[in-house]
Amino acid sequence: MQLLINGLIAGSLAALIAAGLALVYGVLGVFNLALGQIVLVGGYATWWFCQVAGLPLFLGIPAGLVTGGLVAWLTFILFVKPFYKHHRFLPLVTTIALSMILDGLILLLFQERPRSILPGMKETMLLFGGRVSSEQLVLIAFTLVILFGFAYLFHSTAVGRRIRAVVQHDHAAMSLGINAPSLHTLIFVLSGVFAAAGGIFIGIDQNLTPTLAFPITIKAYAAIIAGGKGNFWGAIVCAYLIALLEQVVVGIHWFGVFYIPAGYQQTVALLFIIVFLLLKPTGIFGSVSRSA
Amino acid sequence: MTSIQYSATVSPMPILSLNGISLTIQNHRILQDVSFDVKEGEIIGLIGPNGSGKTTLFNVLSGFLQPSKGTIAFRGQDITTLIPSRRARLGIGRVFQHFGIFREMTLEENVRVALEALPREQRRALGDLEELIGATLEMATLKSHAKQKAGSLSGGQMRLLEIARTLKSGKELFLLDEPTAGVSPKMTHQVADIIQELKKKGKTVLIIEHDLPFIGRICDRVVVLDLGKVVLIDEPEKVRQSRALKEIYFGADPTT
Repeated sequence: MQLLINGLIAGSLAALIAAGLALVYGVLGVFNLALGQIVLVGGYATWWFCQVAGLPLFLGIPAGLVTGGLVAWLTFILFVKPFYKHHRFLPLVTTIALSMILDGLILLLFQERPRSILPGMKETMLLFGGRVSSEQLVLIAFTLVILFGFAYLFHSTAVGRRIRAVVQHDHAAMSLGINAPSLHTLIFVLSGVFAAAGGIFIGIDQNLTPTLAFPITIKAYAAIIAGGKGNFWGAIVCAYLIALLEQVVVGIHWFGVFYIPAGYQQTVALLFIIVFLLLKPTGIFGSVSRSA
Repeated sequence: MTSIQYSATVSPMPILSLNGISLTIQNHRILQDVSFDVKEGEIIGLIGPNGSGKTTLFNVLSGFLQPSKGTIAFRGQDITTLIPSRRARLGIGRVFQHFGIFREMTLEENVRVALEALPREQRRALGDLEELIGATLEMATLKSHAKQKAGSLSGGQMRLLEIARTLKSGKELFLLDEPTAGVSPKMTHQVADIIQELKKKGKTVLIIEHDLPFIGRICDRVVVLDLGKVVLIDEPEKVRQSRALKEIYFGADPTT
């Protein structure tokens, strides 16, 4: 049961990040490898606003989200927009460069020591035989609210219809008067806000450290690849699935004989992609693909 | 935009002017000095062998490709550098060879998203949104399928939906790229009917089509493209009898 709860917590975090990423890939067909760094920027910014500038949490969190969106916007303008029309893999290179720059900046600005947005011991309670803190419950609920809020936006509003139209046939959408380039910017910024939300999640639940960025990126990509590239809900389901799998792999007493060391947790996501691509190259829900 | 109403009889200005359009991609000259005018209400057929640049020309007109040289004017306004969505908002509509339909959306959503993309004043002028969606689906004879995903339609049905959607969202100039491709013979008549309806409503149509009898029936003039150049512009009957056309399609005849 504890594994399930842990998986749910880690999954909520991964789902937030993967959701934004799936959207970017689905609409722009572009990979942003600096995503993990944007997650950290969102988390650290919130930490700074709350712990250094002394803002209360309800102001610090929106400020952190805005920072994430802003960094994503700059990323788009400087590192993606000038390149992705020439070849959609060029941003792969430019965002790797950006990720290194951001890694350096994060280390410089926030140093190596772990930072927590809510320092101190958290009170835990027993729930269905597992331990969980009230903050974790809030975070899980918060994630669900964000995801369902987004689902509503996506499926029932004019903006959502436009986004779906651009995903399914961008030329037809533009020929109807939909301004696809400005939607691209919007979606990139939105993915930054989702990422920052993920960073805030880490900062509240655990500690922020500068080395977290790359594993986060890898896990998010594992989720969107296994979910069927660009498939929003597939990515979210797979994010939860991978997180749960990670908990199970290192948490179970295998055959009553041995434990897999926790250090191998990260490789689970990668194995997951490999197995998936071998069995079903289009992903779990991979019937929907980008139109070329 | 101004509120001046243009009509075929009063307006001396062509609705569309192409002036010396050339397009070179990686040293390949795809289009060379393409120039012609289209009058309001005219139906123009665009023919030529595969690779002659027909669809490329459409992509230049819709704004997906920038010409290397030349200008495009729509109702006297230079639109050469406008992005596709701005051109669409001016009234240029496109129907795609491989169906410009949002397959994972319902038919109703397919129409709704088109109407929502219009500038606000224009949408208001068209009247009640829900009624308009109903009328559009009715025109495409697909009203009973409103809640169905568009991907489940047949080729002919998709084509009808696409044309009806373009018409009802107030477009004035239609770029139809092989409207009968992927359409069953039975449905071809229905597609031809809906194009006739465009003509009756005074819309201007540029149509790429391989079916020459079909072109002959509905077009006022035919533009023949070969290797990216305009070879001939004339009435359908004259084009059909011209030697140039035979040479393009079957090669030059050495005996004549």
